[in-house]
Amino acid sequence: MLLICGTAPRKDLPLTQGEASLHGDTLRINGAAIPCTQGTAALISAAIKTAEYLGQPPPQALLVGDDGTGKGSRLLYEHLIGNLPRLAPRVVVLHYMLPVMGLMRKVSESASKAARRPFMIADAAAMYAAKAAGIARDFDLFTPDLSELAFLADPQATHPAYVSRHLFESDSTRIPELVAAAYANRSAARTLVVKGATDHVAQNGRILDTVSEPNVPALEAIGGTGDTISGMVGAFVHGGFGEVTAARVAIRANRMAGLYAGATPATRIWQVIEVLPRVFADHLDDWARQAGDASMERSAS
Amino acid sequence: MFFKSGKKNGFEGGGLVLFDSVEEAMSGERALKADGVENRLVAPPPELRRGCDLALEINLVEKPAVERMLRSRQVPFIDILPMKGDAELLQVVQVTDFGEAVMVKAGNMKLTFDKSSGVVLNISGGGCPDIPYLHAEMLAKPLDRAPRPKEMGHTLCSLMLDRAYVQSLEIWKNGGR
Repeated sequence: MLLICGTAPRKDLPLTQGEASLHGDTLRINGAAIPCTQGTAALISAAIKTAEYLGQPPPQALLVGDDGTGKGSRLLYEHLIGNLPRLAPRVVVLHYMLPVMGLMRKVSESASKAARRPFMIADAAAMYAAKAAGIARDFDLFTPDLSELAFLADPQATHPAYVSRHLFESDSTRIPELVAAAYANRSAARTLVVKGATDHVAQNGRILDTVSEPNVPALEAIGGTGDTISGMVGAFVHGGFGEVTAARVAIRANRMAGLYAGATPATRIWQVIEVLPRVFADHLDDWARQAGDASMERSAS
Repeated sequence: MFFKSGKKNGFEGGGLVLFDSVEEAMSGERALKADGVENRLVAPPPELRRGCDLALEINLVEKPAVERMLRSRQVPFIDILPMKGDAELLQVVQVTDFGEAVMVKAGNMKLTFDKSSGVVLNISGGGCPDIPYLHAEMLAKPLDRAPRPKEMGHTLCSLMLDRAYVQSLEIWKNGGR
């Protein structure tokens, strides 16, 4: 099972788990309709398209309404703490939720109680909580953007809003330095997928790949274009790809989807997600082959 | 020292509310508890001590919500600070011109608007749960009619989005420059 956990911008949505399906710009989970916008909805939607293409079952979504008060997030944490070993997912993606250090630590402990610890991916505030709680190294993969990488590289910061100015002002040429600092501080997961003008894939402190083409600058403005990468990586890992191969393919697919969708700063994320099947059909085999021997890497399968 | 796990009630917040007097700190604790905000009374470390010897540890991420709650219940406080690291919120704002649209980045948040109409085209970045909510509320509205993130949001991400929003409004009012 690929289990994707996060919050939705609907105050009235109770904690909901179910198979997710995408209908145009709307995500459906157990009869609940959620707009496919920036955040966990975009992540789930990209994972659906990827799983569908790979002939895999759709992801299980564990979503709860939260407008920022953290009430829904706490329900989500408690549910994971109590049920992760029983759910026994192969891959878990933790995403938008109020970062609460103590609860995130318990979620990670609960994951370790499963017969086999799931492959753990964290993005957005789940990644903030894991880093702030000092348990980043318990995670398999993080997907920061440049400002979030600066946060991982700052040993003191507990949220990207308090990152040291000299780190925040780093441009993409300093990514190798920030990656090295994040690993040295033990604030990085084993694998990092750094999203930006040039995407980087790093593992255990070593940069393995960089991609800057096709260059679609508008992608940075579109809410959800980082979430789609996390969703694709989760689905590829669940589909049997090694994590580095999954990352390499996902960052290429995201850029190409921006190109196929003719992305502008006004494009909506569902318009990028909707072209993913065409991108996969045209390029996935080549990218997977070029990305190397997946069997050499740890896989969740 | 404050970040060691295994605290008595297991709560690790990373933020401190500083007060002038012990009475105000106690009032603050009661006010936040009444609003369901996790907190605990602590002695502030010497390097952060201002005012009295009692402070409230809160989840730093909830700083905007805590400020709003304390003000609405008329509980005076000196400041809310992180327990380690930089005491100042990021002030740096970066602007990208896309031609017909402008993207303003503050911290981990980005807001993009149409130069001529001022309509919010996209909001990206962030990770706290109020961001998708604010995205839904602000999208497709002109900046001057969109809700202000600081007033609706609860987290540090919303505070960063507010920085981007204020700067965007200023740029738009100056004709997109």
